[in-house]
Amino acid sequence: MAERKIKVIIAKPGLDGHDRGAKVVARALVEAGMEVVYLGLQQTPDAIVRAAVEEDADVIGLSILSGAHMSNFRKVRELMESSGLGDRLLTGGGIIPTKDQEELKKLGVGKVFGPGDDLQEIVEYIRVNARRVSG
Amino acid sequence: MRAARRIWARAMRDKYKAKNPRSWLCRFHVQTAGCSLTAQQPEINIVRTALEALAGVLGGCQSLHTNSMDEALALPSEKAVEIALRTQQIIAFESGAANVIDPLGGSYYIEKLTDDLEAEAESYFRKIDELGGVVKAIEQGFFQREITRAAYEYQMALSRRKKFHVGVNEFANPGQKLEIPLLEIDESVERDHVALLRRTKAGRDNGAVRDSLTALKTAAASGRNLMPPLLECARRYTTLGEISDALTAVFGKYREQPFY
Repeated sequence: MAERKIKVIIAKPGLDGHDRGAKVVARALVEAGMEVVYLGLQQTPDAIVRAAVEEDADVIGLSILSGAHMSNFRKVRELMESSGLGDRLLTGGGIIPTKDQEELKKLGVGKVFGPGDDLQEIVEYIRVNARRVSG
Repeated sequence: MRAARRIWARAMRDKYKAKNPRSWLCRFHVQTAGCSLTAQQPEINIVRTALEALAGVLGGCQSLHTNSMDEALALPSEKAVEIALRTQQIIAFESGAANVIDPLGGSYYIEKLTDDLEAEAESYFRKIDELGGVVKAIEQGFFQREITRAAYEYQMALSRRKKFHVGVNEFANPGQKLEIPLLEIDESVERDHVALLRRTKAGRDNGAVRDSLTALKTAAASGRNLMPPLLECARRYTTLGEISDALTAVFGKYREQPFY
């Protein structure tokens, strides 16, 4: 039975327009054989989770460089729980201070990446931690 | 920037037939490169930013933004912002780089790089013309793809150590402790702002707000200048969210195509 491709939603919640990192990561995940649904800029937590439900995504990756990471990650995680996606990985990256990374972990957010992290490390993290579905 | 000035002047004079020579002047703003900043050894970002800012000044920019050393870690602290500002002031008032126009003019190497860049840019313009112009090229994702491709290739070059990022993939000092203060913003900022918004909305003349929004929509639908109705909205304490919702109702919303 062939393993289904890992499906990843990449989105930027809020008003922050820095999409260089999100697009580079999206491309790296595609090159690594994953399926990426790139939602782009100015997404609401609601729209992101709705897309994840429709796409039956294994992973949601948020890119946030605006400083609004705590509230956005929290809202997305809560909506994931209430939409039946509680077992899926929520990860992401951006400019996120170490102190906040610890707080995010407590909220059920996976590893968050930052400047200088290697693309391969991100790809491997998602490969290992994505909910695997064979089909 | 030297190449951009040549291209601009030629396009304004020859292509668009601008009669006033002042229109031939290309005036531009420079911001130092966010993607060059590192979270590792952040202090050395001061040096990177200084070199980039100097390049901007030598290229003849009219205005300049210098990034702060800590922007790969957090929103910038007051201390980091002050150093970024002082960097500009050193270039402006101590270095002498701003004393003459085009200080690099005549350097054989800079002139060659300028010629090369100008030729490469011209070939891009031909390509954009072939695609049917800028709007068509955006719709086809041409610019988006070019920008993302360059970003991806740069990242791959770092991964493969074809390019160096000092402190990250070369001359790294893993385990080094962070020794600069970072700005901390907690979620009370959001709560305070929401409370302020509520107070503002409760204290304003909401009938006047509705009228200003109606006038804005009417102007938007008829293609008139939006600045006067926008100013009226602001005078009535209409919020940015209300203004942008009103304009969205008329214009719709740009849906980004996934080009990466």
